Amino acid sequence: MSLKILFLDELRGFYRSKVMLVLWLGLPVLGAILFLWGPDTGDEIPFTVLSALLLSSIGGTLASVMLAVSIINEKEKRVYDLFLIRPIRRGDILISKFLAVYLCIAIAGMLALALGVSIDYYRMGGTPEAVSEHLLESVVLTLSMMAMASAAGVLIGVISPTVLVGAVIVIYGGNQISVLPVLPELLGYESNLALSVIISGVTTAVLMGLSVFIFNRKQF
Amino acid sequence: MTETTSDSANFKARYLLRGIMTRCEPFVKFDNVSKSYGNFTVLTDISLELGRGDVFGYIGPNGAGKTTTIKSLVGLITDFSGRLTINGMDMPDQKDRIHRLMGYLPQKVSFQEWRTVEHTLATMGRLSGVDVAEIESRIEHVLGVVGMSDSRHRKVKELSGGNVQKVGLAQAMLHSPQLLVLDEPLSGLDPASRYQVKEIIKELNKGETTVFFSSHILSDVQDVATKIGILGWGRILALGNLHELEEEFGTPRVLNIEFSEDNSDPDVIAAMEGVTDVTTTVPTGLRVRISDERDMDEVSDRIVRTLLNQGCRIRKFTPSTPSLDELYMRYVNRGGQA
Repeated sequence: MSLKILFLDELRGFYRSKVMLVLWLGLPVLGAILFLWGPDTGDEIPFTVLSALLLSSIGGTLASVMLAVSIINEKEKRVYDLFLIRPIRRGDILISKFLAVYLCIAIAGMLALALGVSIDYYRMGGTPEAVSEHLLESVVLTLSMMAMASAAGVLIGVISPTVLVGAVIVIYGGNQISVLPVLPELLGYESNLALSVIISGVTTAVLMGLSVFIFNRKQF
Repeated sequence: MTETTSDSANFKARYLLRGIMTRCEPFVKFDNVSKSYGNFTVLTDISLELGRGDVFGYIGPNGAGKTTTIKSLVGLITDFSGRLTINGMDMPDQKDRIHRLMGYLPQKVSFQEWRTVEHTLATMGRLSGVDVAEIESRIEHVLGVVGMSDSRHRKVKELSGGNVQKVGLAQAMLHSPQLLVLDEPLSGLDPASRYQVKEIIKELNKGETTVFFSSHILSDVQDVATKIGILGWGRILALGNLHELEEEFGTPRVLNIEFSEDNSDPDVIAAMEGVTDVTTTVPTGLRVRISDERDMDEVSDRIVRTLLNQGCRIRKFTPSTPSLDELYMRYVNRGGQA
């Protein structure tokens, strides 16, 4: 029950935030600008794929920064004191934040991909082969990477003492984690979507589990 | 059949006994609670008991450990030693059940700033278990109590510090808790708001709410507390109501004298038997300490005669008990020397 209340509450806070506005509107627009005026990409990479790449890198980073900064700020200002003295599970505070941000960026991702598909359809007079081939993979990988980046943001938020330290760890460390789902491919193995999903699912669960464990033991 | 009747009677007896025991047991009990950060000990063997309906004023110098005590009480700090029970339940082992009974206002209350006052209270109320159907009326009630009804739809970030403090108090009272824990509830409030909050505490006390509050403003503690604890260097220096604290210390009585015509010689008064100290007060008066309250009548009589002989005209002659400030300083000084 407390998870539902907290999740709906966090969702209400995040979806109207300025960062989310950037994610929901800014990223698709930026993608469109890069695609239409980019020097070499126009004819080679479908816009759908470009959008997926943009979202998984910039969107993932933004989500993890947003989560880490939000948690550190609220710890510093002692916002959690009023939640922790109520009959709720401590972990629900973190899980609700993770779910709210993840849902928001997932919607942003779908919006950007939908825009990509529309533009590609319009440009090529029908759904291009490259798009249909890569659409599922793009969607799955984007969502997986975002989940991991968000979970990393939560963990960094829980362990970092200040916003500055948190931001540095997210930018230099947290974002690197999103390479994990494509690691087998980078190491020369054949691309395997199922394996990528398993890797990112397990990583996300481990990061969130660790965050909740540390948060539960924390003295406020 | 006989056995069943006997079982039933035993059950009833046990039930009644449990009820009586619960009523007799202290509602809040600290039993040798200690807390250290590494080698630094913040609290040492804190033991105190509060009954239902007590208003406990917790005072002490900065860094004495008041906030650490309060955080242990509300379950924000759980790694203390000793035993802490609320309504017979152990903190932190049964903190979920305890938290249903408890409202808390931290020293620096802070909310997520994007929320409105109403949204903040709705969330806090729901998390405390207030029913959806009741939440609207409860919000209306507590905002009315703290005088913030007009600010219901304002964002928290638009409120002044004092008003944020009031919203903090509102969220603490929202679910009608049996125990209200307030860490410096009066700091940062203007005199009118301080008066208002003190009235709220008195009103809650009529409804048998137990209140545990810390404060630096001793006159406020004196106004509302039915029981006072003085903390110094992580230890309880004194515990009891104001009268008990006075008696424990053996504090001398004080005479406040105000003149319409002042020809007094304070040195003569100070040299009198039974007088420990004389200070002049503004604009024209004396403050005389009597060493033993049993001598009050006799010493007062001699002082009046002496002053009249000196040609003074007395406008007011008021015996008074020492203020909590004076008692506090004596306890703290004694604790510091120990």
